[in-house]
Amino acid sequence: MRHGTRLAAAITAATFVGLLLAGLGVSHREKSIATATGFAALPPAPAPVLKVGRPKMLSGERYVSRWTVVRRPTAAHAAPSASSVVVARLGVSAPEGTPNLLAVLRARTGAGGALWVLVRLPVLPNGTVGWVSRRSLGSYQVVKTHLVVDRRRLQATLYQNGKSVFTAPVGVGTAVAPTPAGDFTIRSKLTRYASPFYGPVAFGTTARSAVLTDWPDGGFIGLHGTNQPGLIPGRISHGCIRMRNEDIVRLSRLMPVGTPLAIR
Amino acid sequence: MNGFPHFDQFLTAVDRDAALAETSSRAEAALSRRGLLGITLGAVGAIVFGKTSVAEAGAGLPASDVDILNYALVLEYLQASFYTEAERSGALSGATAQAVKVVGATERAHVKAFRELLGSRAVARPTFDFQGVTEQQRPFLRTAVAFEDLAVEAYKGQAPKVRSNAVLAAAVGIHSVEARHAAWMRELFGITPAVNAFDRPASRAKINRIVASTHFIVSRPRMKARNKPHFTG
Amino acid sequence: MRLRGPEVGRGEHDSPGEASSRRAVLGTAALAGLVAGLPFFRELFRLGDALGSPSKAQDAKILQLVLQLEYTQVALYEQALDQAGLDGELRAFAVAALAHEREHVAAIRKALGANAGSKPTFDFGSRIKSAEAYRQAAIDLEDTAVAGYNGQATNLTKATLGAAATIVSVEARHAAWVRAIAGEVAAPDAVDTPMTAEQVARSLRELGMRTQ
Repeated sequence: MRHGTRLAAAITAATFVGLLLAGLGVSHREKSIATATGFAALPPAPAPVLKVGRPKMLSGERYVSRWTVVRRPTAAHAAPSASSVVVARLGVSAPEGTPNLLAVLRARTGAGGALWVLVRLPVLPNGTVGWVSRRSLGSYQVVKTHLVVDRRRLQATLYQNGKSVFTAPVGVGTAVAPTPAGDFTIRSKLTRYASPFYGPVAFGTTARSAVLTDWPDGGFIGLHGTNQPGLIPGRISHGCIRMRNEDIVRLSRLMPVGTPLAIR
Repeated sequence: MNGFPHFDQFLTAVDRDAALAETSSRAEAALSRRGLLGITLGAVGAIVFGKTSVAEAGAGLPASDVDILNYALVLEYLQASFYTEAERSGALSGATAQAVKVVGATERAHVKAFRELLGSRAVARPTFDFQGVTEQQRPFLRTAVAFEDLAVEAYKGQAPKVRSNAVLAAAVGIHSVEARHAAWMRELFGITPAVNAFDRPASRAKINRIVASTHFIVSRPRMKARNKPHFTG
Repeated sequence: MRLRGPEVGRGEHDSPGEASSRRAVLGTAALAGLVAGLPFFRELFRLGDALGSPSKAQDAKILQLVLQLEYTQVALYEQALDQAGLDGELRAFAVAALAHEREHVAAIRKALGANAGSKPTFDFGSRIKSAEAYRQAAIDLEDTAVAGYNGQATNLTKATLGAAATIVSVEARHAAWVRAIAGEVAAPDAVDTPMTAEQVARSLRELGMRTQ
């Protein structure tokens, strides 16, 4: 038989494989699968392309806050029952035009198996909560941040997983039109409006002025920039929390909508 | 029961909306836009810089395998989000609460692995509205059983279509874990963990129909706007 | 890849005697080359890959392996149901799983036709003498089945892969089921590691399978 040198090399290479494998007790033929015990001829599985790491339990859960949006107009009740007193009526939008965001506190199964969710309500008096049918609400979102505004120290601090990641001086309301204390939620983010008074970005909150009740759009407290940075820190606003523009821009990169807001 | 379909209805779902199909087709559109280019650039990058990281290894995969991986990723997102939300709801107790911790951690690990491999070609996490199913133990278990059985069928349906052996090796190693999960959830729910001697595969069309029928995949709420603020100031 | 050496490169006819002595010399040379040259080794191994790539003949070999697995499961469950004093959920598991494994045996035997190997004999020792021992043996065997099937996935033709996939998930369900009965975490791992065919064969022998 005549063979090209490369083919000769290949055929002899096959014989070498055979010599190698002979020690493993596998007889080797060019074209057929090894017989006898033979399992050695089955290649091992290749390395999987996915590297699955060690599963990790949830952590930092005490920093988790949940929020949702109103999916269809609904009533919030005093108890997890459709027959209990209506505390507030909720539409699908906040006055600033974004979905109506509500902080989720807990859920309970009512009579008849229906699920009710306790939420913070953006109504007066501040701090009001109510039960809403789960069916009226949308998806649950999670944040691990929380913002604390200290009216005495005139300072705002953002925490991420319990760790302080941002702090800045603030202006708050005067004695006549104070910023209210309590637990609220950052519910919207407004940008690219033309209003230097509010600075480059403004956050809507669920907090309301207890005194400016006739204010257009309900007298909601905002968190926003300013065209009077010299007044900060100070007690100078109608209730809003004001920040220097560079600070609120920095904050806007760290704080997602839905972040709980504690005003002390 | 909060308008949520029963387990049996789950399996005979009617095609009502195309939420998951939309997600799949967005993934496909993304792939056709970036996929081939991404693969080429990745391969060049590997040669030029001699990297052998998992991400670069992923860059050499056939486009159809990337598509299958993204399809599996959506199902893993669904399961991971489902178990995580259920664990956080505080509605589960006993052996179910314990199981959810383990299975949730596993599905999250799967998601992480897929995302690391696919890099910029990974589809984004959808927004899920589980409509209370994560907040009551019986509905939760019923749905968990359905999801796990679904995942098993999905992996089984795709395995013979995988072209790369490294992807196939990964897929079979996860497929059997999902089957363990399925048996576990069934046992917790009180039904037999293994009904038949042979588990059937399911086509992508069937999986998409079933997932779409749950209406769990929703659009992301848009919380930003350009409106002028009307706060008190 | 070319071998370098005095006898190579001429393309001449060899007489049988010359051919075998030439192979012997080249054998030594190439073995040395093997040790010295990794790329060469890879070239060699490529031939090995070609022999390991999917084919109907290879499917048959793999099916013979998994048939042994299934025979072992049938035998273990039959004997345990007879002797291990099983009751409650463990008994219910054994009855259900036995029925499944018998169906697996039947299906694989049908696929292999005349090439179906004969049933091995078994000596399970103490594993079938108590519920606890049986429980642990069942977990080991089901895990081995999963690892064994998974390990061969890339060696199978696509058609047989599809069929094998319908079985492996049932074995995985069994494994989780009996772990749950044992009060263990039903699915402790995020991913299942495969076993090679040899590892499966060894594991079966350790469990009590005796081939003819």
